[in-house]
Amino acid sequence: MPKKTHSSLSRMSRKENRQLTLMTLPTVIWYALFCYLPLFGIFFAFKDFTPVPGDSLFENLFVNSPWVGLRNFSYLFRNPQYVDVLVNTLIYNVIFLIAGIVIPVSLAILLAEVHQKKFTGFVQMALVLPYFISWVIVGYCIYGMLATDVGQINGLLKMLGADPVQWYQSPEYWRGILISLGIWKTSGYTMVIYLCSVNAIDRSLYEAAALDGANFFQRVRHVTLPHLRTTIATLFILGVGSILNSDFGLFYQVPMDSGSLQTVTQTLDVYVYKSLMLQANFSFSSAAAFLQSGVGCILLVIANVITKKIDRDSALV
Amino acid sequence: MKRSLKKAFAAFSALALMMSATAAFSGCAGNNDDGTIRLRWVSYCTAVPADMKEVIAAANKYSAEKIGVTVDLEVQPTEMLNLIMASGEYYDMIYTCEWLNNYDTNAAKGLYYDITDLVKTETPALYQTIGDYWEAAELNGRLYGIPTLKDMGTEMMYRLNSDYFEGEKGMEIPEFMKFEDIEPYLAAYKADYPYKYPLAMDKSGVPGMTNFLERVIGTFIFIPYDGDKLQVMPLWECSDLVDRYRLLHKWYKLGYIEPDASAVESTASNKDIPVRYGVAWRGYQGYSNPDTWGFNVKTSIYDGPYISRATEQGAMTAICAACTEEKAKAALKYIELLNTDRKFRDILAYGIEGKHFNYLENGSVMRTKTGNDRYVLALYQTGSVVNASVESVSRSFLADPDQWEKVYSGYKEYGIRSRTDGFVYDQKRKEDIIAALSAIYQNYATDLRTGTSDPDVVIPKMKAEMEAAGINELLADIRQCLDEHLASSVDIDFS
Repeated sequence: MPKKTHSSLSRMSRKENRQLTLMTLPTVIWYALFCYLPLFGIFFAFKDFTPVPGDSLFENLFVNSPWVGLRNFSYLFRNPQYVDVLVNTLIYNVIFLIAGIVIPVSLAILLAEVHQKKFTGFVQMALVLPYFISWVIVGYCIYGMLATDVGQINGLLKMLGADPVQWYQSPEYWRGILISLGIWKTSGYTMVIYLCSVNAIDRSLYEAAALDGANFFQRVRHVTLPHLRTTIATLFILGVGSILNSDFGLFYQVPMDSGSLQTVTQTLDVYVYKSLMLQANFSFSSAAAFLQSGVGCILLVIANVITKKIDRDSALV
Repeated sequence: MKRSLKKAFAAFSALALMMSATAAFSGCAGNNDDGTIRLRWVSYCTAVPADMKEVIAAANKYSAEKIGVTVDLEVQPTEMLNLIMASGEYYDMIYTCEWLNNYDTNAAKGLYYDITDLVKTETPALYQTIGDYWEAAELNGRLYGIPTLKDMGTEMMYRLNSDYFEGEKGMEIPEFMKFEDIEPYLAAYKADYPYKYPLAMDKSGVPGMTNFLERVIGTFIFIPYDGDKLQVMPLWECSDLVDRYRLLHKWYKLGYIEPDASAVESTASNKDIPVRYGVAWRGYQGYSNPDTWGFNVKTSIYDGPYISRATEQGAMTAICAACTEEKAKAALKYIELLNTDRKFRDILAYGIEGKHFNYLENGSVMRTKTGNDRYVLALYQTGSVVNASVESVSRSFLADPDQWEKVYSGYKEYGIRSRTDGFVYDQKRKEDIIAALSAIYQNYATDLRTGTSDPDVVIPKMKAEMEAAGINELLADIRQCLDEHLASSVDIDFS
């Protein structure tokens, strides 16, 4: 009798497992098609891709194209600007990484304190909305504000008696502009993730803390933050993985590709785009992508190991 | 576990196989049911006209009867053409030229069909029509593409609002002027309208401004048409060009150019602007239609006509190297028909007679409203320009039907010819340097060509960076290739 119960239980759980597994199928297929299948593109980075029309892609890649070792990477380092390009990419990403934790977490904690449903709903919407506006549109809105002779900001400056600024020729302002825009666009979206974690925290913990006389900051420090640790660590590690990537739209479309601003707007993606505008060179662009993902992957593993050392539960693997 | 892994692997490899198979077989245009041959023809255009399908059907009906060939004509933007070539996709005929989907590079790679012998035996009329201009397609003594007969040299001009300058201000607009001669016109307008900008300028700069130099790499390495001997020069050594940049910067500071020009995508919608530019030919009427602009426009030529391999390669058609001989012959026949049969040519050029255009009494063509709205492609995008009827923009302003004869004899008379004997540098030799240089150039180019930055400050910076990136190595290699080319030139006899 007990044996039978056991087997029917396991049958049930197996059935449930199968259903759950099936539910993951779309994701698995998506990953196979768009993440694993294109992996063979790594070969492009080490080949001089010379296709013959009519031949299949595999033939073209493996038979028709010779190996060239690391030659496809050399154009990235030929230009003396590459140091600035890398520094720019890293500076922006480190700032985004830190701001991408501090701001959304603070917003989530503040929003969780508000108990007016309608108001929270509105604020949440307003914060998430920018995430869905394309950079091209943002770029033109910003242009409307910053244009030298018809822009609103210069109009305001003139009204106040100050000298108008040629924004698109003044790189000193753009680090601030780009960082604020980047934060404005993404923090709402990330905040939702944190807000879910905050809302999932057992309310009785707060009540207990309040009974013990903890004020708001103490409750945040000793109840909320420890619970968010895992989520923060996960998003942080993933962010480190894309440390050499940058949002092309933000750094190319928003400054309208203005040459005067290039010292502060040129990130690795922008640089690769500019290098290859004259040629459709798959091998060169694959080399750049390989470098980005390679460095990202190594840093991700390192970040994970460090996280594991500090706090076993928060690490990814 | 092991089995399921195996299965997953099998599924994965099947998927990969399927993808490569579709890659291999897709796009193979074949023969039609009635035995006529169907060709996939990819041409260049950024927008597909609304009535394109209908027009192609009409053209196919005509060509199927005449030569037994029909086409699936599709127009694609630059990136798509590059992608089709870079990924090895199959096509039968493709648009190729000097300024996109580069003819020389692709022909040298062996991507285009060698038509040298076929064109003489199969399509003698085509061979004769192109005549001297075959030299634009000649590479190492062989032919890999068919030049499109159009304006073969570049002439750069200003387009001025003549109602304002001649009518209101009493200034004369001469047929020819120098680049810098536009200044008094700009000054006059600025004096009348201090808050407007008289010179049209967007981030692409003045179109054709560097055409008085022969381009070797992008727009930063040139060979001047004049001078004592042939010289390969980086931008900063071309003093005439640097002077033009200085002039633009002066105009920028004087307020003739909009302060944010380097961020402006296009000024096309601003009909106020009294001075624009054009790259066309003598007698071209496309800029003069008062209905489009709201005022009369007169053009004044400041450069040209310059004739080089690059300008003669303004538009070409090539046949895919993977084509069968049958298809290659069919493609040649089709291009021959476009070059020799005016009635057929006018279909792809202007659409369907009576619906999209009408013939006028002097033999020129005028588009109807439907034609203007629903079928506009530049003539060079669908074949010979010279063989198409010329277009009049209004009944009161008829185009000269003999326009092209005059243009072509003009080239013979005062055309400024390149002395490089069709030299073209194989960019594959120093691909990485060129990629690095073009990134550097892009950083300064927009501000230079819009007058935003001071060339005396910016060019030395650019020079230092380009030298660090290896421009001298590239220049030395180009010079060596040029010398070798000049020493070993093979000439085909086209008579």
